Amino acid sequence: MKKVSVIGAGNVGATAVYYIAEKNIADIVMVDVVPGMPQGKAADFMHAAPSRNYHVTIAGSNDFEAISDSDVVVMTAGMARKPGMDRMDLLKINVNIAKQAADAIARYAPNAVVIAVSNPLDVIAMVCLRESGFALKRVIGMAGILDSTRFQYFIAEALGVLPADVNAMVLGGHGDTMVPLPRYSSVGGFALSELLDSETITQLVDRTRTGGAEIVKHLKTGSAYYAPAASTAKMVEAVVKDEKRLVAASAYLRGEYGHRDIFLGVPVLLGQNGVEKVFELELSPAEQEALDESARQVKEGVKNLEEIYIPG
Amino acid sequence: MAHIGILGAGNVGANTAFFLAERNIGDIILYDIDIGVATGKALDLMEAAPIRGYQYGIHPVEDPGALLETSCLVVAAGAGRQPGMRREDLYERNSDLIDTIGASLKGYEGVVVVATEPVDLMVQRLQAASGLAWSHVLGVGGVLNSTRLRHIIARRLGLTAESITATVIGRHSEHMQPLLEYTRVNGVPATVLLDEEEQAAVVQETRNAGDLIVDMSQRASSYYGPSAAVTDIVQAVIWNSHRILPVSFSWQGHYGIQGVAMSLPAVLGSSGIERVLEPQISQDVLRVLQQSAQDMQTLLAKG
Repeated sequence: MKKVSVIGAGNVGATAVYYIAEKNIADIVMVDVVPGMPQGKAADFMHAAPSRNYHVTIAGSNDFEAISDSDVVVMTAGMARKPGMDRMDLLKINVNIAKQAADAIARYAPNAVVIAVSNPLDVIAMVCLRESGFALKRVIGMAGILDSTRFQYFIAEALGVLPADVNAMVLGGHGDTMVPLPRYSSVGGFALSELLDSETITQLVDRTRTGGAEIVKHLKTGSAYYAPAASTAKMVEAVVKDEKRLVAASAYLRGEYGHRDIFLGVPVLLGQNGVEKVFELELSPAEQEALDESARQVKEGVKNLEEIYIPG
Repeated sequence: MAHIGILGAGNVGANTAFFLAERNIGDIILYDIDIGVATGKALDLMEAAPIRGYQYGIHPVEDPGALLETSCLVVAAGAGRQPGMRREDLYERNSDLIDTIGASLKGYEGVVVVATEPVDLMVQRLQAASGLAWSHVLGVGGVLNSTRLRHIIARRLGLTAESITATVIGRHSEHMQPLLEYTRVNGVPATVLLDEEEQAAVVQETRNAGDLIVDMSQRASSYYGPSAAVTDIVQAVIWNSHRILPVSFSWQGHYGIQGVAMSLPAVLGSSGIERVLEPQISQDVLRVLQQSAQDMQTLLAKG
């Protein structure tokens, strides 16, 4: 059985553990700094094991050493976004948390694939890469699948079809400048434009851009975690089972789509080695422009990072 | 009340029961003209149930009338292909049986899923003989051809087949029309990921897939693929999924063609076809569809 460690046992982390356990994908370790919390949640999961037929084990610890020899490490630690809070506000707090985690991953799980989930995602992924010193393809950010699954759901809801019949591609940074690509989104193989008028598509695209904020607005004192956790679990499964799955994810670019030294949401092939390939889709001038704008915003975030970043 | 009836407990019927049970979709009743075969296979499946965690039963029935009390009925009766046989060769052999089954289904309130070959002709005959609405009589051709196309593309691109959506329309024969413009890998068109030579190759391979299995096994035609395709259709009906699948049904003026069954993508729910989706097709594809329709109408007219 492979081993997956989840750093941060909050809502996203614990719910990802739930999805991973339900499908018996891998043995799981939850690590969190809060004393007793990961242990408590892990014990609660294991009490459910007889009912839910878990063959995997779930353990909790406050000690990073527990992640030893993980095949995948999921980085969800960090403060969640509060209502009215911009993703960038979280930067300082979460960068330091990510640095500690990345140090521990490099030390205890040197062969792992790292999936960064904490926001601001594209920046946190960069911190994980720099601090771990891992090969570029072994650090991935979870954003594209989440943005895509939201877009897919909105499309399915508009058409009254099964959500799983809809595929969607959302590129760019995980923020308001994300780039949903209706042209590379489909319903039962049909191009979106064949089934929905352009006005409706624009509405759905806009709703996707603010999908995270929509949940925050409803909850008032919290943010989304079911869809983010499900998206994370899907990436974990693709890596653990070496699925070779084409998905949108935040990957380190070296010139693809005209960008370099940046984590940006692009179509990738996910397998046991992490990002095994970046697919370069042909973009229209408008799509490319939107992606460039999104990249500019991510770079802005990384620039903020330089100011507060004191290498380790 | 059983949710699902299966008429014919041969390879396709029994494997459909197996796949449906594995997905815990609903209670199943299994009928075969040879009651021993239905009873034996149902018992064998139910003895696996404790290990496999089946939540529903698979029950053999002696009275085919019980099949009328279901929400979805799979017709998997009739002869299958042997090596060297074409699907059309089964037409004469299976026609009378399908007509008889159709006549016995008058007033049936559920959805019928036909797997008997040649499937498009059998869908048309069964619909005519039963008098059921065209949207309630489905055939398995398009889903099966699509799942084969998905497999073939996945193998060629070295990625998981599950993320591929494929569309194959038209007659379930060498004249089937795989539409690569309507075939996507997680939203990305297959035409972007495959060059022209590869596109031609996957289309040809899909057309030959059924024949290849008959030739390879030298005993019987394929049944895992067909059973999986039937299972997907039944699941969409029983769960009212509004799932989009290419299924065979009697065309009602689609592309100008009337009263002959072929496959097109459709939204499926508890009332059968809720909506037909018509892909934009080239003149070449249209001509093949028209020719297929004409060929089948000639056969149907012969009675």
